Amino acid sequence: MKAAENISKKLKDRFGASVVKTESPYDSRLFVEIKKEAVKEISNELIALGARYLVGVGYDSIKRDGNLGMVHTFSFDRDDLFVCIKMAAPADSPVFDSITPDIPNAGWSEREYMDLLGMKFTGHPKPKRLILADDWPEGIYPLRKEVPHNLMPPAAEDVAYQLDEAPEGTTTVPIGPFHTCLHEPAHFAVYVDGETIKGCDYRGFMTHRGIEKLCTTEVSYNEVPFIAERICGICGSVHATSYSQAVELAAGLKISRRAEFIRTIMLEIERLHSHLLWLGVAGHLIGFDTVFMQAWRIRERIMWLAERITGNRKTYGMIVIGGVRRDLTPENIQELLDVLKKVEEEMLVVQKAIIGDTAIHKRTRGVGCITKEEAVKWSLVGPVARARGVDIDTRRDHPYAAYDEMKFDVPVFDSCDVWATVLVRIVETFEAIKIIRQAVDKMPAGPVMTEFDEAVKPLVHSISAVEAPRGEVVHYVITGEDNRADRWRVRAPTYPNLQGVPMMLLNDQFADFPIILGSIDPCFSCTDRVEVVDVRSGRVSVVGRNELEELSRKKNTGVN
Amino acid sequence: MKTAYIFVNIALFLLLAPLFEGIIRKLTARVQSRQGPPVYQPYLDILKLLGKETINSADNWGFKIAPVMAFASIISVIAFLPLGSRANALSGYADVITVIYLLTLGGVSILLGALSSRNTFAMIGASREMVTMIMVEPVLAMTFILGAVKVKSLGIDATVFSVGNSGYNWSVFLMLAVYLLALQAFVGRQPFDIAEAEIEILEGPLVEYSGPGYGLFKYTKMLKQMFYAALFVAVFLPGFNTGFYAADLAIQVGFIALVFVFIALIGATNPRLRIDQAIRYYSVMILLALCAVGLSAYGI
Repeated sequence: MKAAENISKKLKDRFGASVVKTESPYDSRLFVEIKKEAVKEISNELIALGARYLVGVGYDSIKRDGNLGMVHTFSFDRDDLFVCIKMAAPADSPVFDSITPDIPNAGWSEREYMDLLGMKFTGHPKPKRLILADDWPEGIYPLRKEVPHNLMPPAAEDVAYQLDEAPEGTTTVPIGPFHTCLHEPAHFAVYVDGETIKGCDYRGFMTHRGIEKLCTTEVSYNEVPFIAERICGICGSVHATSYSQAVELAAGLKISRRAEFIRTIMLEIERLHSHLLWLGVAGHLIGFDTVFMQAWRIRERIMWLAERITGNRKTYGMIVIGGVRRDLTPENIQELLDVLKKVEEEMLVVQKAIIGDTAIHKRTRGVGCITKEEAVKWSLVGPVARARGVDIDTRRDHPYAAYDEMKFDVPVFDSCDVWATVLVRIVETFEAIKIIRQAVDKMPAGPVMTEFDEAVKPLVHSISAVEAPRGEVVHYVITGEDNRADRWRVRAPTYPNLQGVPMMLLNDQFADFPIILGSIDPCFSCTDRVEVVDVRSGRVSVVGRNELEELSRKKNTGVN
Repeated sequence: MKTAYIFVNIALFLLLAPLFEGIIRKLTARVQSRQGPPVYQPYLDILKLLGKETINSADNWGFKIAPVMAFASIISVIAFLPLGSRANALSGYADVITVIYLLTLGGVSILLGALSSRNTFAMIGASREMVTMIMVEPVLAMTFILGAVKVKSLGIDATVFSVGNSGYNWSVFLMLAVYLLALQAFVGRQPFDIAEAEIEILEGPLVEYSGPGYGLFKYTKMLKQMFYAALFVAVFLPGFNTGFYAADLAIQVGFIALVFVFIALIGATNPRLRIDQAIRYYSVMILLALCAVGLSAYGI
């Protein structure tokens, strides 16, 4: 029996009438419509069956049926299956049970929709504002369809986020909104006793750019990949790929095999550059700038290579719905192989140097420790999870693009600290090189674009995950009318991992704060994507449609 | 003539300290495959900072006086140093205890500045600075005491020239090794730039300083760095007396440059330690230094 049928049968048997409808458009996707009263039991049952919580997706369906919808998504990593449980509540009393007490990682997802859609979650342990600015007026829920994307409520004075109460006997050290160890704005209040961290509160979401709202009101399907790529300045392709895959799945579009291979190659090139970037930053964070400079020197070759292949050092603009925009020429491939050879040689030297350096061991071993059980409970992803002995990798567990044909190892270490994260990242660079070489070898000939002329059916739910260098990216798309999505939800890897940071910090030394936070490779811009709110003035500002078109056209010109 | 030595000392330090800092920066850059700033960059930095407006972010006298006090104390220390293997006019008026006091005064000035700036990061920096001072000072003191035990005198020239006058033995070699191992901590460079750790506590004690005050602190740090290098050369590498003052000075400056190469290379190849790890390291240094003094008491 297929995993999807199996799960759906188990849920039906156990919960009977609470399960309204199940639907499995693909073997690897299961959508379950449930009554909202049963959400706690059903999600707990899924976790008990071995699922991992991904993200919550709230959406506005008021015009259609007067309801606000909420979807909790789960992944069964061993069975290549995503399970999404859908529920709805009337817009005049959008109250759901909170699943956060049992699944802590749902905490932010639920808080997000308290802010953006005005939902209520009974039993939520920390129902504080997460996304909206502190002076955003009560009662305006920006993700509801009736709120225009460019609404600008007046700024208010004298409002501030109330930090959690500091534990007794501690001093509060403010890290942020601007601090040298944060490369983007975010605020951590770290409660320290002497040099020991006793707790921490986080207030982020200071750089919302309204990307999700914008893309569901202003632009069409085909333009979104370019915007999606700009969600993150470091791992943009993963967002474009994940979004494109979600739309392709919803539309039932199968892209050419060559395009899938090129996507794989681009994703791995991105992983190489991102891992080297992180290695450098990690070196800098423990005050070892030589590692920083050398890692970035090696990385520079990859940046040049990317520019030769795509025209850009970063933000490749390669991936679109239906395939990729450029083919790889034989010269590109030769250059690619040459660069890989050099990078591999140099990385071997770096690997040897880092593993043999006792001073680095001193700063990273036993730092940021959490157990495997905690990592699983908090649904951590990517190298952070793999460094805690959690054997997950979306490339292997939910193969996409051409990963089903690739042979590679997923490095998993169980020392549960920052040192293990360093090892995972270093080993993965070699695995990435291996994957690119295989992909080049096996790449079939063929077109790189598959045209798709039919209109996409509205209200189809679709989910897609991609393994970004930092962990798993999840995109959830609900198709809509007017050639654009009705709802698009982006979950970057930092979203779950950042929620686990306070736990990693607990009882560590304050001097280790930068490297512990750095070890998850936080990307606040990915995490903050939802609304465009300038926190300082409380103003909402959005890139206008014209500007946006101009920007994407600029990138388009100069391309054959 | 002996009075002139004092001014030569001070002029030489003021002139050369930024150059040595520049050498460190350049070498570090080369190790990191970077071009690096020109070696004269620190001069420009100091000039620029001194020419800027003073911003008193903490409006109290402690904050204002701290940089001047730090600068004055390091200049006084330098005045006592018998450079070029010659005692100067001041050497007879003080002993090594005075030198240690004055060096500590420099550290205390940094604490004063940090505590009066009332900044959280400065406070953390101050507590780290204090711990470092308490743990590193004994090593310096032992270096002097080793000399003092050898020649049975606390006089500055007597202790500093002790190795030159009575030769090397095992205890001197041990002390030399300990001094080199503690050098990065003396000069506050990696792996012991813990009090200023810019990534965590944003240069700690200096976080509120800008303009001339910051410039003076920076200058003080460069002078201090050169002092520790010069002290090493004066105590442990004597015996290159040509009889000409200028030649002796030139030889010592050459050695000081070598010490700076050492500082730069160690700094570029180590991450910053945590304060708890550093304390453990310092304790070992103190123990070894005590051993050296003990050995020298038996004339080993």
